Amino acid sequence: MRLVRLQTRMELLQILRNYEQLLLVMIIPLFVLVFFGNVDVLPGSTTIAQLTASVLTLAVVSSAMVSLGISTGFDRSYNVLKRLGASPLGRRRLVAAKILAVIVVQIVQCGVLLTVASLIGWRTSTGAALLTLVPAVALGSLACGGLGLTLAGRLRAEVNLAVQNGLYLVLVVAGGVVVPADDLPGPLGRVAELLPTGALATAITGALNGGATMRSWLVLGIWAVALPLVAARTFRFDATP
Amino acid sequence: MTTGDAVEVDSLVVRYGDTVAVNGISFRARHGEVTALLGRNGAGKTSTIECCEGLRRASSGTIRVLGHDPLREHLHVAARVGVMLQDGGVGPGARVGTLIRHYCAVHDRGVDPDELVRRVGLGGRTKHAWRRLSGGERQRLSLALALAAAPDVAFLDEPTAGLDLDGREMVRDVLGELTSRGCAVVLASHDLDEVQRVAHRVVILHNGVVVANDTIGALCSGGRRLEDVFREVTR
Repeated sequence: MRLVRLQTRMELLQILRNYEQLLLVMIIPLFVLVFFGNVDVLPGSTTIAQLTASVLTLAVVSSAMVSLGISTGFDRSYNVLKRLGASPLGRRRLVAAKILAVIVVQIVQCGVLLTVASLIGWRTSTGAALLTLVPAVALGSLACGGLGLTLAGRLRAEVNLAVQNGLYLVLVVAGGVVVPADDLPGPLGRVAELLPTGALATAITGALNGGATMRSWLVLGIWAVALPLVAARTFRFDATP
Repeated sequence: MTTGDAVEVDSLVVRYGDTVAVNGISFRARHGEVTALLGRNGAGKTSTIECCEGLRRASSGTIRVLGHDPLREHLHVAARVGVMLQDGGVGPGARVGTLIRHYCAVHDRGVDPDELVRRVGLGGRTKHAWRRLSGGERQRLSLALALAAAPDVAFLDEPTAGLDLDGREMVRDVLGELTSRGCAVVLASHDLDEVQRVAHRVVILHNGVVVANDTIGALCSGGRRLEDVFREVTR
């Protein structure tokens, strides 16, 4: 446990010293929340509760998929994973430390974003409903982290960077994150509901508004199991064959 | 001081698909000695060392490092093993001081990070990120990460590459200190003059097999240069 704690601290230090990662995990979600919370440009039915759910989803995608995926991809290409794998830390503890670092980041993200959301008018529904936010974020993180690590574990670092950023934009705009799947046009909305991001946004919206659809939990659960399994089977620690 | 074999490699085979990189090699590295693993590019040196470090699974054969299987008994081995990778294994944003402190803490073998920084000559660079270091300074940092283990076995891949005269002298001193307290040093290198100065034993690989394995005295008897021996056996 000492080794995992040490490495988790190191991972967090790297995030704090990397301005791009800070922008991704904190500044962008915060900007979206504050901007769209004060400027009336989203579809008319979008409430502050929906906006808060969207921004929390965005935060999960940012930290669990893009930030983790890009940093791990570069760590892999610079042989940082290989070097740490040869230390007493080993590969399993290294993965555990990366997961713990994401959890710490998400606790901070949720705390800051929910505080700011409450300042611009969001009110919690019930405490019990709010508690379902925890499994929603956990399942969403598993799904998004699995996707991020699948890409990071196979692609060259530069390609991985481009793909993760491209996927982030597509999922944010058309994956039910900022614009809820229900408000997307016909087939796009139906596809978005089946994506991990769409299902996560729906589950988080349910948690914040009270009540959630079984279908979104089921879709999210399937992605949360499938994508980490794919990552575990395909990930290469070594940048060379 | 511990004596005897620290690294035992028997009939090691490493395959990448249809390519056989290492084809049934065997050798020993003893405590208190520098064993140099030589060979042309693609001879199988890095694959062999990575198997010894527990980073790569052998296709067949056995490896014991300090009496343990480095892959299956990783934790028993890794804490006492120093590793210097050919290409560093450090991210460009990582700072010298932070990294050395981290590796000293991970190995937990009582090495003082400040003393280690001074030992490898990076005293004025502790706040510098890896990307701001010169090639020689990066080599010094990589060596420091290996020394953070206070190793009983050290695997050093090209430890003098890119180092100036002072740097090479520092590496020689470090190797002397390591072997004098019983550490087994396994180094891979293309710098044959340097190897002739520091190695006790030399294992030469060619096309994945061992073509020479003897003490430096026996290989270079009669005033022969190691480079000439190397050319002869790898023709």
